Amino acid sequence: MSDRILGLVGLVVAALYVWQATLIEESFITDVVGPKTFPIILAILMAATSLYFILRPDKGPEWPTGARLFELLMAIAVLVLYALYLPQVGFVIATAIAAGYLTWRLGSRPLASLLIGIATALGIWVVFKLILGLSLAEGPFGF
Amino acid sequence: MLKTLLRSAAIAAGVGLAAPAIAQEAPANPQCIAPANPGGGWDFTCRQVGKTLQDLGIIPTTMQVTNLSGGGGGVAYAEVVNKRDSDDNLIVAASSATTTRLAQGAFPGNTADQVRWVATIGADYGIIGVSGSSDISSLAELFEKVKADPRSIAFAGGSAVGGWDHLKVLLAAQKVGIEDVRTIKYVAFAGGGEAMTQLLAGSVQAFTGDISEAKGFVESGDLKVLAVLAPERLEGWAADFPTAKEEGIDVVGANWRGFYAPGKMSDSAYDFWVGAITKMYATDAWQSVMEANGLAKLNLSGAAFKDFVEKNVDEIQALSRQIGIIR
Amino acid sequence: MDTLASLADGFVIALTFENLALALIGCALGSIMGALPGLGPANGVAILIPLAFTMGLAPTPALILLTSVYYGCMYGGRISSILLNIPGDEPAMMTCLDGHPMAKKGEAGLALSLSGVASFVGAFFATVGLVLLAPQLVRVALLFGPAEYFALFTLAFATLGGIASTNQAKAAFAAALGLMIAMVGVDTQTGVPRFTLGEVHLYDGIDFLVVIVGLFALSEVLVFLEERHGKADLHEPPKIGRVVPPLSILARCTPTMIRGTVLGFLSGVLPGAGASLGSFISYSLEKRLVDPKGRTFGKGDPRGVAAPEAGNNAAAGGALVPMLALGVPGSGTTAVLLAVLLAMNITPGPLLFQQNPDVVWGLIAALFIGNFMLLIMNIPMVSLFARVLLVPPRILMPVVAMISFVGVYGISGSSFDLIVMVAFGVLGWLLRKVDVPLVPVVLGVLLGNEMEVNLRRAMTISDGDWSTLVGSPLAIGLWTVAFVGFVLPILFGRVLKRRMRRRMDEEGAVID
Repeated sequence: MSDRILGLVGLVVAALYVWQATLIEESFITDVVGPKTFPIILAILMAATSLYFILRPDKGPEWPTGARLFELLMAIAVLVLYALYLPQVGFVIATAIAAGYLTWRLGSRPLASLLIGIATALGIWVVFKLILGLSLAEGPFGF
Repeated sequence: MLKTLLRSAAIAAGVGLAAPAIAQEAPANPQCIAPANPGGGWDFTCRQVGKTLQDLGIIPTTMQVTNLSGGGGGVAYAEVVNKRDSDDNLIVAASSATTTRLAQGAFPGNTADQVRWVATIGADYGIIGVSGSSDISSLAELFEKVKADPRSIAFAGGSAVGGWDHLKVLLAAQKVGIEDVRTIKYVAFAGGGEAMTQLLAGSVQAFTGDISEAKGFVESGDLKVLAVLAPERLEGWAADFPTAKEEGIDVVGANWRGFYAPGKMSDSAYDFWVGAITKMYATDAWQSVMEANGLAKLNLSGAAFKDFVEKNVDEIQALSRQIGIIR
Repeated sequence: MDTLASLADGFVIALTFENLALALIGCALGSIMGALPGLGPANGVAILIPLAFTMGLAPTPALILLTSVYYGCMYGGRISSILLNIPGDEPAMMTCLDGHPMAKKGEAGLALSLSGVASFVGAFFATVGLVLLAPQLVRVALLFGPAEYFALFTLAFATLGGIASTNQAKAAFAAALGLMIAMVGVDTQTGVPRFTLGEVHLYDGIDFLVVIVGLFALSEVLVFLEERHGKADLHEPPKIGRVVPPLSILARCTPTMIRGTVLGFLSGVLPGAGASLGSFISYSLEKRLVDPKGRTFGKGDPRGVAAPEAGNNAAAGGALVPMLALGVPGSGTTAVLLAVLLAMNITPGPLLFQQNPDVVWGLIAALFIGNFMLLIMNIPMVSLFARVLLVPPRILMPVVAMISFVGVYGISGSSFDLIVMVAFGVLGWLLRKVDVPLVPVVLGVLLGNEMEVNLRRAMTISDGDWSTLVGSPLAIGLWTVAFVGFVLPILFGRVLKRRMRRRMDEEGAVID
């Protein structure tokens, strides 16, 4: 069943892709092949393989439901929030929170999670900022 | 066209756009944004200027270099305009690629007047060449062939269609009276080096690029430079090459490097930066950096640079519209 | 003999205390950066440029530092591939396929030491090749016009069938997906944006580092979370096993390493192909050659570790050929190195070997020295590296995730890239669930642009005549290898398999 859904998604993606490809604005000067041809060939390839999945699906995997699914969605939410607010919050604080959350959900005890999160953030900060000199997000406190 | 513009620029520079005295305080945390990943041209512009400024004591602390890549410089441009519009500490590396993209509307929603143009630190002049074994010996001869059969000559360059390497050829083609410049065959490569390799491999017939890319290949005899697109002959090793103008094709193509600053930067900070770069440009230390990097002279700052950019943008816009890259 | 004398001069230059110290620092930092997901050789070298500048190094020492980092990264990438199933950088991707299964079987030590030896063999002989053959090899690179490149990349995709033996359609789907992702961004030929949805951040396309870190590292974290689901850590550290490879295995892998070295070196020499193609082709051809039925490859075959590691390290050496002799960067890393050379008033090109012999030979000597250093550093430290496995995943996985974020953010300074990376993490998890292989996706992203662009260049040059694609003996040769070696077996393999199955069914029926 999962393969059939994959096939359907693949067909939809391929269709959207072709639609987007036709929207590419070509300028008056263009090469012989043009910017649209190759993407459309790729979309056709994807559509063909997708049809194959629909016709001859493999056995599907076990999908997470209920609490497990919520677990994953929460983790994704934390990662997205991390990405969004990293520049505002600053590297060390954001990383301590995100790493702490992940290690907690992977089975550390709450207090240990907090410490592991802070240690992770500080460790990475020292290596990347102090040793390698990369500019990490500074945030309101400069770290 | 570009030529006149460069000439006026050269005059402005030559007459001596007197360097404003550096009366202003240096910013506390000087920062330079390189709108690309480490290792590229903009990154080097920031790092070398930062280092030279510090070595000369013009800025008291290390210039912090931040890489902010994306959109061919568009991400950094938008960031400066939207978020750091009044930051006095900041300058941003730029080059003719920046103005070309601004002119062609490739930074959506942004225009050249949203920032303050600080100064140039040098330029790299364009060349057109053929393989060392080719029997074509002058630019005029090359364009005769193009005129007779546009399909017979494929030009290879390191920029996309409509990019700077391509535009140089089209400018020249216009001058020799080729009506529909769109018939000219141009093959885009990922950089001057790759284009050069394909010239050597015989896949293409002509090369369009910058003089700094050509040195090693001229010396080995693999490349014949037909013309330099400079207002007058260059100095040093490249002095032997005729300018396009000498060949009767009046075109100048300069790939400049320089900086812009946030649009609402205070006047005193702006004056500081203009003065700092101008002062640095005049030193021997910077002259040797320019030489090391194959940069020719182009010294514009403050208002003269702003005019230069405006004209540059107008001109690229006109040409791009004419050949249909933009509408 | 000239060469040997020059090389001897090179050693005189390289064997100063300062240069040796720089090589050591470079190798160590490189190994670490290679092993960290999110930091590859290109970024690793770029990060250290400011250091070279602030230290005020002369050209030769600066190059020694930076190329040591480069070689170090190529060694280091395998460590996280083997131990974590997360490639430390893109060329190490193929090492995951057999390296991680070996680690799971309790042979992590063997996988690490064997891959270290293979890296050494690849890098050492590539450097020898660089010394002896650089001028001739430049001619090889010149044989490749756009049409030949297109054929070469098509060959690379044709070999995919050999890698994912379970479901060819899924491999094809994955490759199409990767190629489609590669199309995002401003079209390098005409300058028009494609599939960017008007988003400026997408104009430069999607960085393959973002893709690879998302697909491999973040999806691994999600897989762990799904399995663990807040339960206590029941981590039983896998055995590390022996750390010195037995001679029998070394002997068995020697032909593999030689083949990997040759293939990797050649792909390195071709600008635009690079180390990823080197390790990929080394692996897939090796598999096709010694294990066409897929009995042991992908399940922890030592040869599946030796081939790509020899391949990608040899490619690193090969990539220096076009950089030094033509001034053409064959990969992202050599592009950065080239910029450094230019900044130091050294113009690579056909005459570099004559004009700056001290730089070239000093560099080459430093490469030899760096190689031995890396071998010496890597073999005894295998048991140290392998201790990473003793860290419980509940701590290790968040650290890996955060390092991935930092690597990407520290280079691009863009939180948009981080969001894209999370999206690829989710995509990677979904694809793993439905059994779509990730390697072809990354390969598509890596090679997609080059493949398309070379097709279009070839067509522009030929004025739209498609026969140009088979217009040279080299192109015809590449197409033949792709077709006979890889496409036909897939088509006929299926027919054969069906026949065999039918016969077995019949036999079964008789027995019943």
